[in-house]
Amino acid sequence: MNTDSWKRYFHSVSNHFAAMDRVLDAAPGSKVLLLGNEAIARGALEAGVAVATTYPGTPASEIGDALARVAKDAGIYFEYSTNEMVATEFAIGAAASGVRALVSMKHVGLNVAADALITFAYTGTRGGFVLVTADDPSCHSSQNEQDNRYYALLGGIPLLEPSSPQECYQMTKEAFALSEKLELPVILRTTTRVSHVRGHVVVGKIVPGPKKREFVKDPKRFVTVPAVARARHLILLERLQEASKLADESALNRVYKIGARSRSGIITSSAAFNYVMDAAKMLRMSTDVLKLGFSHPLPAHLIVEFLKTHDSVAVVEELEPILETSIRAVAQHQRLKTKILGKADGAFPQAYEFDQAIVASGLVKAFGLKGEIAKTVSVDLQDLPVRPPVLCAGCPHSATYFAVNKATNRKAIFASDIGCYTLGVAPPYSAADLLVCMGSSVGTAGGLAKVNDQPVIAFIGDSTFFHAGIPGLINAVHHGHKFLLMILDNRTTAMTGHQPHPGSDRGPSCCDITSVSIEEVVKGCGVKWLKVVDPYDIKTTTDTVKQALTQNRVSVIIARRECALIAKRDQEGAILKKQYIDQEICKKCRTCVDKFQCPAISSIDKVQTIDDTSCAGCGACAQVCPYKAIKETR
Amino acid sequence: MADIYLVGVGGQGIITASRIIGDAAILAGKNVLLSETHGMAQRGGSVVCTARIGEVYSPLIPDGQADVVLSFELLEALRAVCKASKNTVVVCSSERTIPLSVSSQKLKYPTLDEVRTDVTKIAGEFVLIEASELALEAGVPMSSNIVMVGALAGTGLTNLDKKHFEKAIEMNILRNFRENLAAFSKGFDTVSRRNRT
Repeated sequence: MNTDSWKRYFHSVSNHFAAMDRVLDAAPGSKVLLLGNEAIARGALEAGVAVATTYPGTPASEIGDALARVAKDAGIYFEYSTNEMVATEFAIGAAASGVRALVSMKHVGLNVAADALITFAYTGTRGGFVLVTADDPSCHSSQNEQDNRYYALLGGIPLLEPSSPQECYQMTKEAFALSEKLELPVILRTTTRVSHVRGHVVVGKIVPGPKKREFVKDPKRFVTVPAVARARHLILLERLQEASKLADESALNRVYKIGARSRSGIITSSAAFNYVMDAAKMLRMSTDVLKLGFSHPLPAHLIVEFLKTHDSVAVVEELEPILETSIRAVAQHQRLKTKILGKADGAFPQAYEFDQAIVASGLVKAFGLKGEIAKTVSVDLQDLPVRPPVLCAGCPHSATYFAVNKATNRKAIFASDIGCYTLGVAPPYSAADLLVCMGSSVGTAGGLAKVNDQPVIAFIGDSTFFHAGIPGLINAVHHGHKFLLMILDNRTTAMTGHQPHPGSDRGPSCCDITSVSIEEVVKGCGVKWLKVVDPYDIKTTTDTVKQALTQNRVSVIIARRECALIAKRDQEGAILKKQYIDQEICKKCRTCVDKFQCPAISSIDKVQTIDDTSCAGCGACAQVCPYKAIKETR
Repeated sequence: MADIYLVGVGGQGIITASRIIGDAAILAGKNVLLSETHGMAQRGGSVVCTARIGEVYSPLIPDGQADVVLSFELLEALRAVCKASKNTVVVCSSERTIPLSVSSQKLKYPTLDEVRTDVTKIAGEFVLIEASELALEAGVPMSSNIVMVGALAGTGLTNLDKKHFEKAIEMNILRNFRENLAAFSKGFDTVSRRNRT
């Protein structure tokens, strides 16, 4: 597929910019509207990045998506790697050779990549190496809200925290320079409210960097056998001392003075800085705000000076009290009397993302301000019909779950995984009983099956199977675990915006890809019972699930059908088999809404109808109706 | 300074609408911040975007502070009223997307009158707009999000010129540009020529 058709494909499925790509084409000096993530991509291009990798995950996905679109035209290499670990290792190989490399992922992705990253801090890098972790306070699209700033502390890795799209752009460039200066990897940490904020960014010039370098062998640095690792740890600690000095001098750490001179101060970083600035205005406070953009290692001298010149200082940060704890330690070490306020006193919560109101009320508590926060009208939303995310009209997973419930009579334990199909947890399918992380369906299914008498079915998506499902499957084959693994193959990484994966037959413009067959991988793992079904054929799927559950060893069904959103858009809206409900035949039995779930089918005043615009024409509902009342429109 | 709170259902083109507002603001030489809903929350669930034009730091809009609530779906207007006050204009599409919680008979979908009554208890004004019908008249059924952008511009509360919006639509909408401009005008005229009560 040529560049144009790839771009068209990408635009059509993810609704990104079309006419020109502003990430690549924005003129130097111009002010453009960019998403935080796109600003990171632009910053990387201006910094002369040679290699960029990712595994998609909200809220990081658009960094990779932007680079995927422009990679060929920008002359860089970009790939959607199999998982975050591989993405990081690939970037390490390139950066250790001397070119600049960027790897981006969501926060939990760094759990997967941590093994590589932590030791890479020991060897250090030659070319600039920047790892972007996009955290998700409040779990908008995640299974936890872990605070990845801890990885900077854990690994001894310098940490930059932008607050706005402009800073995303600027700090990405600075991160590359810093990484080369210290010869260390650098973490750029965003949150949902930084990555997914679109704002004005004044861009500079894209200066292509070297794309090739010769790896100079240096095993005493790069091969971390114990003797090398011990020596390198000392070097890392020295570099961190140097980094701390750079943090003290960095323009990314600066004081904003609000109102008159004040003896009260605030130390903050990331998105919390934005809420502090808006909240201080709301409260008409006079205060000094020390904003930390380069927050690890801590700019200790700067902080001591700030503490010395203020009587009380509130530390405002989302999630873990990382700055607060370190600042308390600095104050104790220096025997400072400054009052430090934060989460320890209960002024600020440790869970969920902040907003202006939370920060304003925290500041009122912390400083004992008299200012009343304007009470807003309370609205009783209790009776409002909820609208959680659901499987789309025509989603093949809906048909699969219907078939599985029919085959098992709902008497099975469902080990689920990360992807759109996790939405099957909701009624009517209730098709998820245990989920912890990417790939966990396969591993947990073995444990569930070992100690339970009920049948166990694991659900995993195609992209997730490649990402983390394969070792679990090998384990199940080797140890003779008995469960059914259903690989829900919709030919894409759907939830994060339809990125390709190793099984796809198309990839980014700069990649010459080979599609890896899921069947061959499954067989190669030693699975003896494998069937491929089309989930839109509900009867065959149901029968195949029944058969699979009679097996004595691990069995695998690949339920293969392209994501309905892609199918719909590839056909430019031309739908094959739109359905309608023949009200004269319909017995109002409600099977189509109570046992099947499709957003195109709704029931109001006891009458079920199919919305013609949303119907994807999959025909699954027609097979679900016991009275054959659902028919194809002509 | 204008705070616009956009709500609706995943898949209605709300991110595109907010991006057009953002580009229009930049074309007018103003600073702007938008926050967007991506990922899991997009799959047919309630979606929220914000657009703040002017000198602010956070893209989030505090309760009661929206100048305009732009609701792409009838029921979602109710979910958004916490952002409204007596100074707020709520522009609401008559489009209805029935959530599963209604189809499963657990909860009732409110009537237009109920929505209007509850919204006007808090907001200054409720403006209903037949976005899908106007989009159809404009020739592109999918352009009801552009009708809504027109409706927003028609309130006059963004302090942005019509020409900035039109240029922003050109930057963001590749196909059927003329029809989309017509959709914008229909939304604009409906709201700017309304009878204020």
